[in-house]
This record gives sequence, C-alpha cells and structure tokens, in this order.
Amino acid sequence: MSPIELALWSFPVLLFLIFIRMPIALAMLAVGFGGSYLVIGTPMMTMNQLKTLTYGTFSNYSFSIIPLFLLMGQFATLSGMSAALFRAAESFLGHRKGGVAMSAIGACAGFGAICGSSLATAATMGQVALPELRRYGYPGSLSTGALAAGGTLGILIPPSVILVIYAILAEQNIEKLFVAALIPGILAAVGYIIAISIWVRVSPNSAAVRDRVPWGERMVALATVWPVIVIFLLVVGGIYLGVFTPTEAAAVGAAGTGLISVMSGQMSLAKLKQAILSTASSSAMIFLIILGAGLYNSFLALTQMPQLASAWVAAQGFSPWIVLAAVLLMYLLFGCIMDSLSMVLLTVPIIYPIMAVLDFGMSAADFGLWFGILVLIVVEVGLITPPVGMNLFIINSMDKTIPISETYKGALPFVVTDIVRVILLSVFPSITLALVWLIDYLVP
Amino acid sequence: MYQTLSRAIHGLAVLMACLGGALLLAVVALTVTSIAGRALLPLDIGIGPIRGIYDLTEVAMAGAVFAFLPWCQLQRGHATVDLFKPAFPPMLNLVLNLLMDLGMFIAAALIAWRLFLGLQDKIKYGETTLIMQLPVWQGYVLSLIGAVGFALVAAFCVLRALRAFARSDPSEERS
Repeated sequence: MSPIELALWSFPVLLFLIFIRMPIALAMLAVGFGGSYLVIGTPMMTMNQLKTLTYGTFSNYSFSIIPLFLLMGQFATLSGMSAALFRAAESFLGHRKGGVAMSAIGACAGFGAICGSSLATAATMGQVALPELRRYGYPGSLSTGALAAGGTLGILIPPSVILVIYAILAEQNIEKLFVAALIPGILAAVGYIIAISIWVRVSPNSAAVRDRVPWGERMVALATVWPVIVIFLLVVGGIYLGVFTPTEAAAVGAAGTGLISVMSGQMSLAKLKQAILSTASSSAMIFLIILGAGLYNSFLALTQMPQLASAWVAAQGFSPWIVLAAVLLMYLLFGCIMDSLSMVLLTVPIIYPIMAVLDFGMSAADFGLWFGILVLIVVEVGLITPPVGMNLFIINSMDKTIPISETYKGALPFVVTDIVRVILLSVFPSITLALVWLIDYLVP
Repeated sequence: MYQTLSRAIHGLAVLMACLGGALLLAVVALTVTSIAGRALLPLDIGIGPIRGIYDLTEVAMAGAVFAFLPWCQLQRGHATVDLFKPAFPPMLNLVLNLLMDLGMFIAAALIAWRLFLGLQDKIKYGETTLIMQLPVWQGYVLSLIGAVGFALVAAFCVLRALRAFARSDPSEERS
C-alpha cells in the first residue's frame, strides 16, 4: 500500500478500534505506531522518537496550563461560589416566568468564568440548582435539560480547556481566543434563557415564580460573588494584557479559587485529596490523548496526507462556505458519539490546514480565531446530544425520578439555540471578532 | 491474596496521584510567588521573579502528569466510546476489557522502557534546561517514577480483567 492509502485506511481502522471500546489514546498510539512502521518498514524510528516524545509532551510549557485549569475548576467547585452565584442570579431573574431555570443558566455562566470544564460546571451547578428547580415545580425535562445546557457554558465562556488545546494544535494565540470566545459565550447564555422563556410559555406547567426582589437586596447578592469577578478579570485580563503567560494565569486562577474555598471553610484535607484525584484522572486522560495524537499525527505527516488533502480541497474549487458547513455538520454528528476533547485532538491537525487554504475573505489570524470558536461550539453541542452526551448523564444521575428520555427531550430546545448560534456566528464573523479588534485597537 | 494486592495497588495509585498533586500545588505556589516578586520589583521589595520558573514548571509538570497516570488507569479514566457497550453481549465486553487492559499495559511498559533509555541518553550527553541549567536527566528520573507506577498498575488491571473474565462477572470490573 502506498503511504497515502495507508493514511486513508487509518481512519476507518481508528474508528473501528474506538467503537470496540479501545481507549481513544491507545487507539491513536497503536494506529500511529503501526502506520509509521508500515510507511518506513521499521519500528526503529518511532521507538527512538518515544525516548523523548513522552517526556517532551508532558513537560511542554504550553500544555502545563491544562492541569492548572483543571485544578482551578476543582477548587471552584469547592469554593461555595456556585450557591452564591445562583442566589445572585435568582435575585435578578427569579420573578420572571421560568425565572428559576433562567437563574440556573445565569449562575452557570458566572461559574463558567472561573471554570474551564463543562463537566465540572454541570456537576457543581446541578447540585445547587436541580433541587431548587424541582422544589419550584419545574418539570424534570426542563430542569435537567437547562442544567445540562448551562454546563456547556463552563467551556464556552473562557477560560476553556478545549480552546487551549485548539490554540496549541492550530498554532493560534490563546490570549485572543479567550477574548474571541467571550461574546459568543454570552450569546449562548442569552440563547438558553430565550429557549426557557419560550418553553414556559408554549408548554404551561406548574412552575412557581418567586417574589420580585428589591434592588438593594439584588446588589447585596451581587456583592457576594465579587471573588468570581476578580478571578475572571485577573485570569483573562492578565493573559490579554500580557501581565502573565497563560500558564501563569492558570496558576493564579488555581491559587485564587483555592483561596476562596479555604476562606469559605469548604476546604478540608479529604476534599483537597478528592480535588487532586479528580484533577489527576482528567489530566492523565488528556495528556495520554495528546501523546497518542502526537504519534498519530507524525504518522500522517510521514504520508504527507494533510498537505495533499488541503491541496486537493483547494484544487476542487469548492465554495468555502459549503466546506465549512460540511465540516461543522461532521463535528455535530461525531459529537453525538465522541467526547469533545478527543474529537478536537483527532481532527484539528487535519481539518485546520484544509480550512486555512480556503478564502473566507478575512486575514489568516482572524480566520484562526473565528474557526476555533465555531469548532468549540459544535463540539460542545455533543455534550448535550443523545445518545452520548456527558452533561445529560451527569445531571440526570442527580435525580433518580427523572427518566433519561425526559432529559433527552429537555435538551432539545437548547440544541436548537446552539445550532442557531453557530449559523449566526458563521454568517457574521464580526460578532466573534469585534471584541478582539476593539482590544487590539485600544491596546496596540 | 488478590484483595491484598488490590489494596496495595490502590494505595500506590492514590499515593502517586497525591504526590503529583503536591508537585502541581508547588508549581502554583512558585508561580504566584514569582509573579508577586515580578510585580514588586519596581518597588524594590522582595526577591523579584524566580529565575528559571519556566524550567521548574516544565520539570514538575512532567513529573506530575506521569504520577497521575496510574490513578487514571486504575479508575478506567481513559476516554472511551461506550456507545455499543450495552449492545455487546456481557462476555464480549469482558473479553474487550481484557484486551484493552492488555493493550494499555503494553503501551505503559513501552513508555516506561523508552523513557528509561531516554534517561540514559540524557545522562550521557549531559543536556541541561535552557534557563536554570538543570540537568534534563533529573526530570526524566522524576518522570520514571510515575511511568513505572503506570506500568505496574496497568499490569494489575490485566489481572483484574482476567479475574473478572474467569469468573464471568462484570461487576468485578471496579473492585
């Protein structure tokens, strides 16, 4: 078989291995190793590469941001801020129709500003908000659907672990990506709130409405969440103004959320151990996938498949917008069955060079940011689409009285708003890019 | 016998994860100190930024991530697509578990073995880090602890899967 045939065959083989439940990292390691062997006829090159590749990957300074952000998220869940954010959001939104569910979305957005992981956001906010939603008589479908969708704000609103990985793979600027993610993240929260507002009007239910809270009390409630605001500004602002490197910012964020959890009295040695074990498991999982992706991509590079593929796409004269639509659709479909991180690691090294040669009428730097945000959103939709949507499972497992089919149904309106948002952001790239341009203009 | 081994492996994985966590916390503390030092520099207070904080971060992070691997392996924390798991017959799932654990063990052993050879190279050539001039082999030694732990735990996981298969008992998976 020619190298390019090997590269093409490697996709179905990889997918087959993944579908028979091989860990994704192992599948990539195995196919990368085997593929390189077949291309050059000896395993020695890969064997030599492995002498330094593993240490090199795990000690990479850019990647060190990942365990730090994960630790920050774990500390954030201990900080007691989830409850404070929920109370603050409730004092502003609670008196509206569907207000308690809207408050849950608002609180998720706030929590997402100090947590870079969707699962942690869903799990933490779910514990606080789900009992409240049920107490106020919200149906199981809406309660779990809203919280599962709200959880995705953890990663849509910067900081975001997925964006860090995309930035490294596509050689984009993490600072600017975080800024670019901000408006689409807020739009996501607004979209979810609109979805709730329509739901409670279209489908009447017994959900109770809270009394209107006077402005004075609202301000008091808002004041309790100041640490969230400070940490968010410190981390995202500090990165953007060049005060810190992204890794330093993640360390500052972890120190900040750690400090709040100690001060709130939530921290204990047992909880610290739990936070570290969770961070350990997720970090190890991510780094092993990065290692696998490294080996797999060096096999693909040997076959020259990424260059040939992008040259081929460029030569076909496809409309860039059709290609973009096809790529985003593919992510949506794969997102139903694969987790977001593996999907990004597996596809971005191949898809990004292909997309970068297409002309969308914008500069290469702008394209990298805009495409990254679009990919971020479509892979996140995968967290709330059946059959494999991790956020749905996490929230559903918190209330045994709600069947999973209700949760699937409940997530649907939120998926619709996600798709509307993707279309909107695709058609109007300036929504994503405006804030980056503005800051570039103000801080030259 | 198996229970004793299981407890020992569990203890080992938790210990390594916690040591890795301690490294991570040390990076957080050092980084914050360094930033504070850098911020206070114009005022001529304190010690200034920590020289070589980048090198230290890299070495500590490699040590931490390697130390995290055993716990992830023991917990079956790796990302997998379990879409077809309910559709497969239980016996097939047990066989697949065994195969995947075996594959993971081979990968873990390979990683540890190549890392050890890499370590020998680094000692031979006396390579050092960019800023602090730390010998790179020291980072390799730190990492090798976690890598060997990973291989040990992965070997235990093969045994665990074999035992579950022999008893054809899927609930054994997590014990």
